[in-house]
Amino acid sequence: MSSAETAAGPARAAAGTAGPLESPLKPRLMRIVEAWDETPDVRSLRLQPVDDGPPVRWLPGQFGEFSVFGAGEAVFTMANSPSRGEFVECGFRALGKVTWALRDLAVGQVIGYRGPYGNSFPVDSWRGKDLVFIGGGIGTVALRAPLQWVLDHRGDFGEIVVLNGARSVADLCYQKEMPAWAEVPGVHVVRTVDPGGETPGWDGEVGLLPAVFERLGLAPGGRIVVTCGPPVMLHYLFQSLEKLKFPPEDVVTTLENKMKCGLGLCGRCNVGRLFVCVDGPVFTWARMQTLPRDY
Amino acid sequence: MGTPSAGQIHRLGRDQLASWVDALLGERKRVFAPVLRRGLRVLRAVERAQDVDFAPGRTRWSPKEFLFPRTETLFSYENRDGVPVLADPPADDVPRILFGVQPCDAAGLVRLDSILLQDPFYARRRELTTVVAIACSEAAPECFCTAVGGSPAGQEGVDVLLAPLETGWVVRALSPKGEALLAPRRGGWETAAAGDWEAALEQAGRVAGSIGRRELPAAWAEKLEQSFADPIWDELARRCVGCSICAYVCPSCSCFDVADEGSDACGSRCRTWDSCSFRLFTQHGSGHNPRATQPARSRQRVLHKFAFYPLQHGGRAMCVGCGRCIRSCPVGMDIHAEVVEVMSGRPEKEAGDVQR
Ligand SMILES: Cc1cc2nc3c(=O)[nH]c(=O)nc-3n(C[C@H](O)[C@H](O)[C@H](O)COP(=O)(O)OP(=O)(O)OC[C@H]3O[C@@H](n4cnc5c(N)ncnc54)[C@H](O)[C@@H]3O)c2cc1C
Ligand code: SF4
Ligand code: SF4
Ligand code: FES
Repeated sequence: MSSAETAAGPARAAAGTAGPLESPLKPRLMRIVEAWDETPDVRSLRLQPVDDGPPVRWLPGQFGEFSVFGAGEAVFTMANSPSRGEFVECGFRALGKVTWALRDLAVGQVIGYRGPYGNSFPVDSWRGKDLVFIGGGIGTVALRAPLQWVLDHRGDFGEIVVLNGARSVADLCYQKEMPAWAEVPGVHVVRTVDPGGETPGWDGEVGLLPAVFERLGLAPGGRIVVTCGPPVMLHYLFQSLEKLKFPPEDVVTTLENKMKCGLGLCGRCNVGRLFVCVDGPVFTWARMQTLPRDY
Repeated sequence: MGTPSAGQIHRLGRDQLASWVDALLGERKRVFAPVLRRGLRVLRAVERAQDVDFAPGRTRWSPKEFLFPRTETLFSYENRDGVPVLADPPADDVPRILFGVQPCDAAGLVRLDSILLQDPFYARRRELTTVVAIACSEAAPECFCTAVGGSPAGQEGVDVLLAPLETGWVVRALSPKGEALLAPRRGGWETAAAGDWEAALEQAGRVAGSIGRRELPAAWAEKLEQSFADPIWDELARRCVGCSICAYVCPSCSCFDVADEGSDACGSRCRTWDSCSFRLFTQHGSGHNPRATQPARSRQRVLHKFAFYPLQHGGRAMCVGCGRCIRSCPVGMDIHAEVVEVMSGRPEKEAGDVQR
């Protein structure tokens, strides 16, 4: 399309009575109001609508399509709890076309957002129970919203353990926030890095996440495990959970099949009879076991 | 659908069929019909009836592109002083007629409906589209509509059905849209003789009888679903080279990609046909790919159509047996044979040596 044509607006060749339609894939414009680096390749953004329409609404665990015009769209979980103000936050690892373009944007610039999509963490069913959040690498981003929700409704839940791990100290997300999480009564934060990823002054744990989890000696008994991380971490974590006899119904995670539409239309995130964008991304380990291994 | 009375069936001579097409064009309707282009039979917008090829046989591509374009602009954007300004694409409100498509292709649109009607762009075009199908007077070797619940005179998704007689055609409306299309013409048309319609159906029955491929019953879906981890898939799909032409020619494949065309200054976000046979379709940014091998991707195409989709859509396959994917595959993959082979637990080593 030539820029002259765009400036004049698209030609109304066959305009009829019904008028133009709006695609459900058309995003809302959002301004970056804050941006900061979590790690050398993970960046967080705080966004606010450019228009004065209704505030953005979502539930912990839902995701959105975030876009840089000219680069395209990428799927991120809303990284903050809806109980925390009127902004949307996301945290992303720069690893490709869209995320690189997004990393290069500054405060004040405008991006696209559409959502919220998908189901959410069943936070209501966790009331009165002890919780363990286990996040590996960028996976911790997906746990931040339900964790904040739980912290904001502290009285509704039992003992909370947060296990946050990464390859190395530099790769650990939310280092600035973790102390505040740990200050909340009854919240225990454990930080861990893979062997070889520790620095001289490191005062956290060293070991692969599933092993560190086992060392914590947490018994099942009504304790909910909420986890997100790379496929290989989940593989070994599930082995540990099985060994410790955690019931699969009490283990909740998210699937991250590639997505394009978020609406069950484009076919990309199909796993068996389900579409992860609509039926997920949150699944219990029990439900995952009913799915073909296509994730 | 009530059975239309005999008065609603008409008989047309060859010239009358042509002048009907010309009359539709005169009403400024857009007519897409089969034409011959450099030896290929394709569907195109026609300008006169003379160009239409009414001979039997499938077109190279299915009619889906007239409702679900290969690439379509979702919106355009332009950066004005640092703020993107978005604009919806111009409305396309011209009524259109798919004239002379095969009944299987009309049924393919019903499969697309079950997914894409949620999309307003597709829904608007669908509403503006009337489907005039021609009952098949012969079947190609790859055809298997009868194996998936269709027929050479199938009515699913058809607004008007034309069927060839020894001389001329019978024409019958099968939906209110079809009625509306025929109503202004009826005065000039001869009512069909008793037995004309039956004769046309008998002819279609003979065509159905010439299709040698066995039924693929809906009841197979669950067992197929359970074949997911069966190593037979590795053998069956080893030949597939992942070119995806099967999905592009398919009247019921509906997957798409979304990508930006343009720069950060201006451009558009587009939706484009995509296919589960491509490696990048499911590969994560991290490099992890749930369907890392070509057989895994090939299995997805078959199981989505014959297991996952029917289990969610009342037992109907997401395949109408048009045979295009079989005809077009460069390495001779045969989706009908694959289903039969998985169910019988027996892969055939030679492409041509398949128990059908
Ligand atoms: C439910 C869900 C939640 C998620 N949450 C998060 C999250 O909170 N944080 C996070 O970091 N990640 C998250 N992800 C993963 C995230 O969506 C991907 O990492 C992200 O989309 C990568 O986008 P990209 O464009 O940078 O990567 P790319 O790998 O570049 O892929 C984007 C697309 O662009 C195409 N492409 C890329 N480069 C090229 C090229 N050079 N030429 C042609 N085509 C190209 C690819 O084919 C691909 O289709 C989530 C995923 C899901 C499904
Ligand atoms: S089945 Fe045939 S047409 Fe389809 S992707 Fe494989 S090689 Fe290509
Ligand atoms: S899968 Fe093959 S035979 Fe079935 S509708 Fe698609 S192209 Fe036709
Ligand atoms: S992302 Fe399009 S169907 Fe799920």
